[in-house]
Amino acid sequence: MKVIWRLFWVAMAVLAAFSLGLIALERGEPVNSLWLVLAAACTYLIGYRFYAHFIAAKVMLLDDRRATPAERLRNGHDFEPTNKWIVFGHHFAAIAGPGPLVGPTLAAQFGYLPGTLWIIIGAVLGGAVQDFIILFASMRRDGKSLGQMAREEIGRLGGMIALVTVLLIMIILLAVIALVVVNALRDSPWGTFTIAATMPIAVFMGLYLRYWRPGKVLEVSVIGFGLVLASIFGGQWVSHHPALAPVFTLSGVALAICVIIYGFFASALPVWLLLAPRDYLSTFVKLGVVMMLAVGILFVRPDLELPALTRFTDGNGPIFAGKIFPFCFITIACGAISGFHSLISSGTTPKMIAREWHAWPVGYGSMALESFVAIMALIAACALQPGVFFAVNSPGGMVGATPEAAVATISSWGYPVTVAEMNALAQDVGEKSLFARTGGAPSLALGMAHIFASSGGGRAILGFWYHFAIMFEALFILTIIDAGTRVGRFMLQDLLGHVYKPLGQTSWMPGVIVTSAAIVLAWGYFLYQGVIDPLGGINSLWPLFGIANQLLAAVALCVGTTILVKMHRARYMWITCIPLVWLVTVTFTAGLQKIFSPVPRIGFLAQASQLQRALDSGAVAASKVAETQTLIFNNRLDAVVCGIFLVLVTLILIDSVRVWVGILSGSRTAQTNEAPFVLSQLRAEEI
Amino acid sequence: MKALWRIVVALMRELADENAYARHLRAHGREHSGAEWRRFSEERMRAKYTRPKCC
Repeated sequence: MKVIWRLFWVAMAVLAAFSLGLIALERGEPVNSLWLVLAAACTYLIGYRFYAHFIAAKVMLLDDRRATPAERLRNGHDFEPTNKWIVFGHHFAAIAGPGPLVGPTLAAQFGYLPGTLWIIIGAVLGGAVQDFIILFASMRRDGKSLGQMAREEIGRLGGMIALVTVLLIMIILLAVIALVVVNALRDSPWGTFTIAATMPIAVFMGLYLRYWRPGKVLEVSVIGFGLVLASIFGGQWVSHHPALAPVFTLSGVALAICVIIYGFFASALPVWLLLAPRDYLSTFVKLGVVMMLAVGILFVRPDLELPALTRFTDGNGPIFAGKIFPFCFITIACGAISGFHSLISSGTTPKMIAREWHAWPVGYGSMALESFVAIMALIAACALQPGVFFAVNSPGGMVGATPEAAVATISSWGYPVTVAEMNALAQDVGEKSLFARTGGAPSLALGMAHIFASSGGGRAILGFWYHFAIMFEALFILTIIDAGTRVGRFMLQDLLGHVYKPLGQTSWMPGVIVTSAAIVLAWGYFLYQGVIDPLGGINSLWPLFGIANQLLAAVALCVGTTILVKMHRARYMWITCIPLVWLVTVTFTAGLQKIFSPVPRIGFLAQASQLQRALDSGAVAASKVAETQTLIFNNRLDAVVCGIFLVLVTLILIDSVRVWVGILSGSRTAQTNEAPFVLSQLRAEEI
Repeated sequence: MKALWRIVVALMRELADENAYARHLRAHGREHSGAEWRRFSEERMRAKYTRPKCC
């Protein structure tokens, strides 16, 4: 039996190596997406079985005899020992967000190869390790949060920095995902109606669950899903209605205002009325669509039409500027490693783990699966014809404001596309135009729609699948905006409560209104700047989000490394230090380039200077002066925000290294804050 | 297949907070009612939505 397993793993390794080699070296002929699936699946399995097992057994010394907090502090609420596969599913649903869908789609600008390699290698050696170690650390500390662990293990400064970093990251995150939704719904009456309809549907679900059929969440989610499907068909009807279509055809600025107003009111309304029912629905839809996409890719096995490497490895990409290093890694973000996952890994999940070894599949395995979702998103994007991909994702400011100018520019790059082709595609999906639909969501929806339609139904239902994919993305993005604004408000109230006590009370209405407005205006301002940016807001906002997210991952790895050193496992600190060093190198390079690069499309200050020179020389039309002044201010603000992130992480890095050096040199005692060992009494049948 | 189906259903019930509600009723020795569900869901949502959702 042992021999068979050994042969199995050797076969996995050979298949992984062969698939990766083929993906890396094949040129000329289109590569089938199945090779990406095989390379990813085999590498994740090997990483899980050998690397993660090594970390669990030799580094963390997981011990099933030790009672977890779920057992010791069992209270029938949040602390409850739960079956490991249910915890796995719960944790995966919590970490799955739009990041691994949008990031790889944008990074496909470089071709399929850089993104594929980073998603696989980054997840196995970085992202999954981060999630695993933070989950383990939190589990040994009775479910403490990342901020609390940073404060206790590194120092008070570390804890405060983690808190401030999370608040700032959330503002940028909310702005950038709101921009993704705005760009997806711009000038689309079908999409706008469908998403608008989800609000009364969510309110209906909330009332149904609270008053008419209390506790019947699955029942109301099935009803809600049916209504949402009906709203997709309703959207198609509206898009052809002469009176209603113009009502739901909104510009980017109008949509941004709608999303900002939505964010303010939704975060102030009772949770049960809108957020909770939408959250339930979007969780089930998200999981269902991920499974559908996996099945669709396995069934259709599309060829990758984008090449392994495009000409934009030179840094002059239309979607975002910058070379593969560091911007491919920054852009992919969550698909390989995400600092946000450390917040989830130190939230509810550690309180549900029944046995310590369950952290192995839950912590490492769920991130590997999330990374696989990123691979599927990359496949969906790369299955599009390159000319179509760039026509959809390139802003007008880069390729030309008219369709004719855009196709001429893109065709001159070696990616032929025609206006007729794009018009036919737009008609197929029920949109007026697919040109300059930046942000990643429309091209991802196109790719997904093609895969779903090829699985059954064909071109006739391409429009339905396109809008289904847009609905799926917008549904959980709006949930994140609602929940994120609420959390941001709590954090701000917590901070301001030290200055003026009533502001710290979450039930004091004036405080709720003021702090909600502050958070909404903060992310709303960045959203607005993204919408009016002629180079496409994604060019400035997504790298800022990526840098922030990766820096939070660096904070988590600092905490993880500190804990390993304090556990006298310093000889294994390389498992967190290697990804930490890589992340710090990538994010600091990206951050410094975004601030100081002399290339205006990359450097915020360079762009501000270029616009200032144009303004001073009178080259800007009178009608555009105010907008140009706003753009100059925005670029300088982005540079400051980027600089703040770099300073905060430098501080925590210095503080962490101080602790490591102190312990390793013997000048500081290594004292961890783990809960004491208690023998587990849990019986197998209880879980 | 049966075991897989059981896990899928249990996961759906966990994600729907129905398992958590059942544990709440057991822990407090109470019967299901509209008022009890509202009490449970308010407490659960208060805890759930003080944490950021992942990107």
